[in-house]
Amino acid sequence: MNQDVWLAALARELHRRGVDPDLAQHVLASAAAHLRDSGEPPGAVFDPPAAYAPAAAGSLDRGRPPGRAAGAVRLEVRGVTKRYGRRLVLNGVNLTVRSGEVAAVIGANGCGKSTLLRICAGLASPDRGTVRVHGTLGYCPQDGGTVDLLTPDDHFVLIGAGRGMARPAARRLGRAYAARLDWTDIDQSLARELSGGTRQKLNLVMAELGDPDVLLLDEPYQGFDRGSYVDFWREVWRWRDAGKAIVVVTHLLSHPDRVDAVLDLTPAPAVAA
Amino acid sequence: MKKTLTVTEMALRELARRRTVLVILLVLPLAFYLARRGDHLGQSIRFVCLGLGWAQSTAALFAGSAARSIEPRLRLSGYRSRHLVLGRLIALWTVGLLLSLPYFVLIRLDQDDVRFGAIALIMGLTAAVAAPFGLALAAVLPRELEGTLVLIIVIGLQMVVDPANGASRALPFWFSREIGTYAIDHTDAGYLTRGLVHGLICAVVFLAVVAAGSSIRLRRRGHLRFVPPSPAR
Repeated sequence: MNQDVWLAALARELHRRGVDPDLAQHVLASAAAHLRDSGEPPGAVFDPPAAYAPAAAGSLDRGRPPGRAAGAVRLEVRGVTKRYGRRLVLNGVNLTVRSGEVAAVIGANGCGKSTLLRICAGLASPDRGTVRVHGTLGYCPQDGGTVDLLTPDDHFVLIGAGRGMARPAARRLGRAYAARLDWTDIDQSLARELSGGTRQKLNLVMAELGDPDVLLLDEPYQGFDRGSYVDFWREVWRWRDAGKAIVVVTHLLSHPDRVDAVLDLTPAPAVAA
Repeated sequence: MKKTLTVTEMALRELARRRTVLVILLVLPLAFYLARRGDHLGQSIRFVCLGLGWAQSTAALFAGSAARSIEPRLRLSGYRSRHLVLGRLIALWTVGLLLSLPYFVLIRLDQDDVRFGAIALIMGLTAAVAAPFGLALAAVLPRELEGTLVLIIVIGLQMVVDPANGASRALPFWFSREIGTYAIDHTDAGYLTRGLVHGLICAVVFLAVVAAGSSIRLRRRGHLRFVPPSPAR
């Protein structure tokens, strides 16, 4: 099935399920962008349209899960604009994330997802706009962020000291958080000796240490196997239930995950449904 | 102080795990020493001190470059730039002094009629200057190769330029040649004073560059404001 045929079939499925036309258009645009970026046939990237349509529509459902109340604002992004040379990457981006909310930032490669998170973390400056963080911040970068010649325990101690934690507590908590991601065989291996997925788990644990109020996660599951990916999202729900505000850069539409808000940074392409 | 010492500890752990690099750093000054050991004992002392400066600057350059990716994250995790700079400097100064110790013993055993106190002073000043010099290069030149090339140029010039030439005072280890002359040739105390002042000025200047570079790179940006959290619900 080629891309146009797959997108047309997806459009029919969304229509058949009574998905709001605006939402359906959004799903189609994002799926098309994802296919364009990956360069792979739809069958290799997504499930068949009949299976993908309910999952994708569900992911974009902005309604909160039953029984949840809106919390206090934790992250406020207002009018963030960023240019790299003459290329406008972010144009007046706004985002509000409250306590107990998960926001997904999605979009095509190069559309500014990581830049937005770096601006939120204060690691890059916008040309215009402001960010307010109510509380403390944890940040998990897409890559890097660890030290090749330190062990996982060293990382826990290092981050823990910055957060004012005692050494044994930092080690104990780091290992406990790692276990929630199904990473229990922590030994004296150096970070450079860890697999890509395990290194990302280390990155995540470092972001979580110190119990920050806001978590910024930049595609943190790269290299995860299926089980670790499920564990990751379970952790995200647990953080949400604990009242944290979470921002995840993700290719959300290829996964059946529910989030509370979606910020799509893809410049809207014209898609024939 | 706990944060600073934690950075020091981790920097030392990193360096200790670069075993091959440590061996090369340890052997490099020996090569300088042996190169002039046969024809001129005094020159061998001057060269070993420059070799120590080169080895320590290189270690600092690579340590500074390796830290660039983690430091923003540490800044977010509660460290201030002074914790990161001072912690790393303490580690590098410690390594520098440990690296110098065997060479001081070597000179003590191998040479006569030398002012050994002045040799110790050269080695102490070399450690004091080389660490911030390497870190300053890492701060100004983010790519290791560029920093390494600059180091090679500086040390090369340091070896070939006549120390009596006024322009040579712009080089960071000029003090080593000057105090070396005092120690080896038993010249007047003017050499010692000039060398000491030069070394201290170099150390202060490089420390200022490192502190300023780190403060700018790891500054809290104006668009971001942290406010105390209100109750979650």
